[in-house]
This record gives sequence, C-alpha cells and structure tokens, in this order.
Amino acid sequence: MIEGIFVEGLIYGIMVLGVFISFRILDFPDLTVDGSFPLGAALMAQCILMGVNLWLALLIAFAGGVVAGVITSLIHNHLKVPNLLAGILTMTMLYSVNIRILGNRANVPLLNQETILSQVTTRLTGIVPDEYILLVFFVVVTLAIKVLLDLFFRTDLGMTIGAMGNNEQMVISQGVNPKTLKSIGLGLSNGLVALSGAFAAQYLGFADVGLGQGIIISGLASVMIGEFLIMKSNRIGVLTLCAVLGSICFYAVMYVGRYYGYVINMTPNDLNLIKGILIIVLLVLTQSRKLKKFALKAVVKND
Amino acid sequence: MKRRIGLVSAFLAVPLMCSVAFGAGAPAKPLVGISKIVSHPALDAVEKGIQDELAALKMNAQYDLQNANGDANTAASIANKFQSEKVNLAVGIATPTAQALVNTLKTTPVVFSAVTDPVKAGLVKSLTKGEKFVTGVSDMTPVKQQIQLLLKMKKVKRLGHIYTSSEENAVVLAGVVKQACKDLGIEYVETTVSKSAEVKQAVQSIIHRVDALYISTDNTVVSALSAVTDVAMKSRVPVMSADPSSAESYPVLAAWGFDYYKMGRATGKMVAEILKGKKPEQIPTRFMTRASDVDLLVNLDVAKKLGLTVPKDIVKTANKVVENGKLVKK
Repeated sequence: MIEGIFVEGLIYGIMVLGVFISFRILDFPDLTVDGSFPLGAALMAQCILMGVNLWLALLIAFAGGVVAGVITSLIHNHLKVPNLLAGILTMTMLYSVNIRILGNRANVPLLNQETILSQVTTRLTGIVPDEYILLVFFVVVTLAIKVLLDLFFRTDLGMTIGAMGNNEQMVISQGVNPKTLKSIGLGLSNGLVALSGAFAAQYLGFADVGLGQGIIISGLASVMIGEFLIMKSNRIGVLTLCAVLGSICFYAVMYVGRYYGYVINMTPNDLNLIKGILIIVLLVLTQSRKLKKFALKAVVKND
Repeated sequence: MKRRIGLVSAFLAVPLMCSVAFGAGAPAKPLVGISKIVSHPALDAVEKGIQDELAALKMNAQYDLQNANGDANTAASIANKFQSEKVNLAVGIATPTAQALVNTLKTTPVVFSAVTDPVKAGLVKSLTKGEKFVTGVSDMTPVKQQIQLLLKMKKVKRLGHIYTSSEENAVVLAGVVKQACKDLGIEYVETTVSKSAEVKQAVQSIIHRVDALYISTDNTVVSALSAVTDVAMKSRVPVMSADPSSAESYPVLAAWGFDYYKMGRATGKMVAEILKGKKPEQIPTRFMTRASDVDLLVNLDVAKKLGLTVPKDIVKTANKVVENGKLVKK
C-alpha cells in the first residue's frame, strides 16, 4: 500500500508541478487543468490503440497539453478575457475535444494493451521486487522532470518568467512582452498536466472523459501542503521538491481517510468535504504564520 | 528548520504505519471489497442487493465498501487499498471502477456489475465465458424488445433518444438503440447532454421531429426524467423508458427493464459461487433478461391522455399498472 501511495503521489506530482508553475510562478489561476489532464489521457490512449511508438505518444500528449495552455493564454492575452474565465473556457471546450479524440466514446480501456508501464514492468522484473517497479520508475521520471524544470527556471527565459509572476510591470519596463512569457509558462504548465494524465491513464488501465473532474483541487491542495511542510525558500529546486512532496502527502492523507475514516464514522462520501477543509485549514495556518512574522517585526521595530 | 523536517517525516510516516497495521492477520470470514464510482440510488441498490443476497445464502462475509465520489482517478486508490488488504474478492460497480480493479488486482477474482458492454470496456474477451479472474453482470437492457413493445402501442416513424456523452454505458446503449432502429426500419434522432441541467433543452430541441422518445438506463437523463416527461406531455409525445423504478413517479407511457436491486442480488449470487470455489472462467457474463428479472410498467392514464390504446395482453403481462392516478403492483 505504501508503494501505491508513493506511485500515485508521483504520477499526480507531475500534474502538481504544472499547477505550481501556473499558480505560484506565473500567478495565473489556471482552470484549464481540468480539461488538459483528460486530454493527455485521451491522446495517450488513442496513440496506444493506434500502435504509435509509446514514447512518441507521450510526447504527443505533452504537446496536446501545451496547445491547450497556449489557447488559454491567447484567449486571455488577445481577447482581454480575465484569466479565470479564459481557463474555464478552454476547459469547457476540451470536454468536446476529448470525446472526439476518444472516438465519440466516454471511456477507452487500456487493459491488456502494451503500455510504457507494462514494458517497464517486464524489463525490470527480477532486478527490482515486483511491487517496487513502478515506484522506482516514477521516482526516476518525476525527479527527472523536476530537475529539468529547475534547469529551465535557471535560464534567462525561466528567470524572466519567474520575475513576471512577481512583478509584471518590471518585466514590461525591461522591454519584455509579458504575453509571450505567459503563453510559454501556461503551455509548459498544461503540457506537464497532460503528461501526468497520460501516465495516469496507463496506471488506471483506461482513459475516461471524467478523469479531469476536480483534479485542480487535488493539485492546489498538494501545492499548499508542500508549501506548508517546508520553510519558505526562494530556491526553485526546493520549491519544486515541495510540490512533489505535497502531492505525495495529499494522496497519503486521502488514503488514510479511506483507511481509518470509519473510526470517526466517516464514509468515503465525506472525503470531498475533508479535501476542502484541509485546504482551508492550510490557508489559515499559512496566513497566521505570516501574521506572526509581521507581529515579530513590529515588536523588533518598537524596541 | 528541524521542526519542519519533523513534520515532513511525520506526514510520510502515516502511510508507513497503516501499511504495518494492515499487514497483520488474514480475516477468518471472506473479505469482499465493493468499489462503486459514485453514490447514486441505482448503484446503492446494487451494493445493497449484493450484501442481502450473501446474507440470504448465509455467507458471513465482511465488506469494505468504497466509493470513488465520481472521480475516476480515485478508482486506482481503491483498487490499491483492496490489494493491500488482500480481499478475497472484489466487486466493481460501473465501468471505470471495474477497469481499475481488473488492472490492479491481477490474481484476485473481480466481479463487475452495472457494466453495459464488458467486452468494449476491455473486462472480458467474450460474453460466453469469463476471464481467468474476471466475470460479472451486465446491465444491458433488451433495447430492441423495448422498442417493439412501444410499436405495439403506437406507430412510430421517428424515434428520439437523449443520452449523456460522458457516460460510457449511455454511449454504448445509444449505439444499440441506433442499430435496433435500423433493424426495425425506424428513423433515429439523437441528441446528447453532458449534465442533467441540459436535458430539458435537449428534449425541446428534438421533440417536434419525433413520434416517441426512448430513455435508456442513463444516470444523468433518468435523474432529469421530470424535465423529459414535462416537455413530452405538452407535445403529446409518448416516452418509453428502460427504468421502471423511476417511471413510477413520472408520466411515462411504459417502462420495461430491471430493478438495480435485483441486479445486485444476481451479482451477489455470482460472488457466492466464486467464494465457494467456482472459477470465474466457467461463469459467462450474466444478463438481466430472465422473466423474473424484468419489470414492466404501463401507465394507462398517460395512454388515455395521448389517445393511445394499450393492447390487453401487454396490460396483462405488466407487473406494475398505473390507472386513475394509482399504482397497482402485481
């Protein structure tokens, strides 16, 4: 079970990294995620059925997510639509697109199909204990993505994107077009979300249009848990690590709710309530921590 | 910083602890895990039916009842939970939960229920026998017979059908309805919705082009049945439904199908057989088509309002008849 939690936490951790980019780095509340996650799953499933090379399929899923993110940014940048609404619009449109991609069906099974996960399993059998194969694979994959992201945000382009999230006016005064930066950032963010969807479809054994429902809440909760757990840092490597750890912790909390919920007479129906309360509590705690800091500073000044 | 690290490790220790706690001791009673996609009257009835049937057969089973709250991603968590608990058998109610169970539990018997087309869902390769660890009950309704029954009451040239595009069961059924219409020489008019709030508009958009409406076992549309019958009665178009239980409270001309509770009982019987040692391979997919499984409801009040006469033999075979505002069960 422990490996199950970590595997899930790592698969959805890729999605959380995407959410982290849009929410924290770009400061852009992006609801496209609810549509780009199943988009990645649908593209991956259809590619697997068509016999496309699996790694190419993964790339196609990523590219699909990038396109979705860029569309959101175009709607926001050029049509002057508020960011929240732009995301909702793309997400809504993606529902129809996803059903099209799945061949006018709501659910495409991948049971007994050759997937990346099944290939990895056959290749690593005997080298790694069976139940830890996927764990090892996803530790490598998710950490590799995290490291690549860290490297990207250390480049000039990455730095400028980070700076724009903090202070858009400053970037404009430096002669950089924030619209381009937003497109790149949202494209990258949704590409990662779709990649996560592609892995989730293989892990679940099916792609379903309903996969995206509420995924943004899980992503946000994970980002917040990650931030709460580890002290505020400005180093991008620490921040992305927080996002991944937050994802693992979030799925662990949900698991524990399922396992021990009956002790306090909780049914699985109450888990959504728990999710919401968890986010609220974390928000309050981080806020009170900030207030404490303010109070301390005030005391120091008075002295 | 130290405190923070402590917190992190505490958080990560929680899953470790529960894996230890659950590693100990196999239960003496068989443990049956039931995973359903969402809490919903029909699916809850299946769950209850399974438990009642096993209780009636004096199988003292323990249950782990789980529900994915409509989130298909959770289906895998539930499957993992069942695997770590080492359930003796798992039941997957609805397509995504059944698929996740089959994908995760490689060597534990899985019984699916309320899956319309288990072959298309990838659960079994053929309907005539089960897989090594997989078999179950399909909720495919006798679509062609339902339409034929409707034809006995009214001449229909164009049949309208409303279904949810995000429910795989509904999409599969739509294909079956289309084929049945083709076989019977009826023109087929379809429209889709993605949530129950869209149902009323969808009905209004096709009602002038059809002679009758067909409603399949589609959770979203059935939950908005009052909107369907409201529009249909105003346009004097009869409605044929595949869900007799919801038809009791709305003006539907006829409803022919099975009770989900009965399907739960049938699933429970299959679960008991497998727990007693029968191999899932030897059990073909069961369909709810036996005479004792199926319910027929006829609403004579609606027929009168629409100026239709229901043939006497149909009224005779119906086990639920609505007449003068009263429901008579036979």
